[in-house]
Amino acid sequence: MINTGQSAASQGLQSCHDCHALWRLSDQNTHCRRCGSALHLRKPNAMPLTWALLLTSTFLLIPANMLPIMMITSLGRGEPATILGGVIDLIDLGMYGIAFVVLAASILIPVGKIIGLLIMLVTLQFGLTTNMQQKMMMFRMVHWIGRWSMLDIFVVAVLVALVQMGNLAQISGQLGATAFAGVVIFTMLAANAFDTRLIWDKHPGTDSE
Amino acid sequence: MDKITETEHLIACNECDLLLERPVILDSQKAKCPRCGSTLISARHNSIERTLALSIAGMILIFPANLFPLLTFELMGRAQSQTIFSSAMGFYYDGLWPLAVLVLMFTILVPACKLLLLFWVSFSLQFSIRLPARRFALRSYQHLDEWGMLEVYLVGVLVSIIKLASMATLVPGLGIFCLGALILVTTMSSSMLDTDLFWHKIGEADND
Repeated sequence: MINTGQSAASQGLQSCHDCHALWRLSDQNTHCRRCGSALHLRKPNAMPLTWALLLTSTFLLIPANMLPIMMITSLGRGEPATILGGVIDLIDLGMYGIAFVVLAASILIPVGKIIGLLIMLVTLQFGLTTNMQQKMMMFRMVHWIGRWSMLDIFVVAVLVALVQMGNLAQISGQLGATAFAGVVIFTMLAANAFDTRLIWDKHPGTDSE
Repeated sequence: MDKITETEHLIACNECDLLLERPVILDSQKAKCPRCGSTLISARHNSIERTLALSIAGMILIFPANLFPLLTFELMGRAQSQTIFSSAMGFYYDGLWPLAVLVLMFTILVPACKLLLLFWVSFSLQFSIRLPARRFALRSYQHLDEWGMLEVYLVGVLVSIIKLASMATLVPGLGIFCLGALILVTTMSSSMLDTDLFWHKIGEADND
């Protein structure tokens, strides 16, 4: 007898990660007969993988912010530009709105994402199942907003392609940009590796009758 | 359990694993998980037909969006144009080839693949033709979805315009309008895609 209102796992069922079809737990490690993806009750190695990817992106934050993301050469004089420097330049030009968008996309969002994922990992590690609705909302935000951090990379890409005027004016990409792209990609991968169902497994009232 | 029909009246929340009776919803309605608030299913009106139409429109628009220049930069009588591809190549010439590959993937390769895969699956379902690898195509689409970043790129172009406006003349090209239309079409196609319905149809066809 299958009871609803419980976790699927407690009722002997698991859902496919890709097409969400329900199969018996004994189908574990086979392939979903509807979509062909590998069946796992929970994402394999979710915790260590998320930790590893999150730490990688945290370390990459340092070169991403310390190294210049581009070199602006005008009339023969080269000037390196960092992410924060670009925001300050926009503030100096009086464009506060754009400055805020760039600040949000390139500093607030990546740092916020790392903190958000850290909260989820700590929640899971210590089984803190309070305020679950809010935590899920935050995780969904982190997941959705991640790609927008690539904004600064694309800005540099456009500037590099446009401003190629030799000694007159020239912009070239620098290593900081690669590090920053790394931050964005590894936080996105970390959010994908995490499995929120693991936290709900520890939620009281899920498995107890 | 060999057949999926035994559990077809049930649904498990993808984010919290709560087992529920599958809710019956009408066109363009959404069902949310009562425990964690995630979207369980979201029905779309004419989902298959619309994703097919939008994916075709996208496959047409992707050409002008990539071939025509997005912006032209004019400084002291000299002009430099830029396309999506040339902005990726700029990184390559500066020796940052990993970054060039990433920009190429996120702005050209992934959006193009997404449109092709969506076309493949929706075409196959619309006309009930069992095209090869359609299950793989739909799964690939689901995994690629968030890695297509055309709209982020467009905002990047707009920020660049503002940054350069004070030092030179910038002329928007035809490409930027095509890119805008392409983004509209791809965003609509992914919001019109009812994955639950698509998988259900694929499962039904394969069980026959």
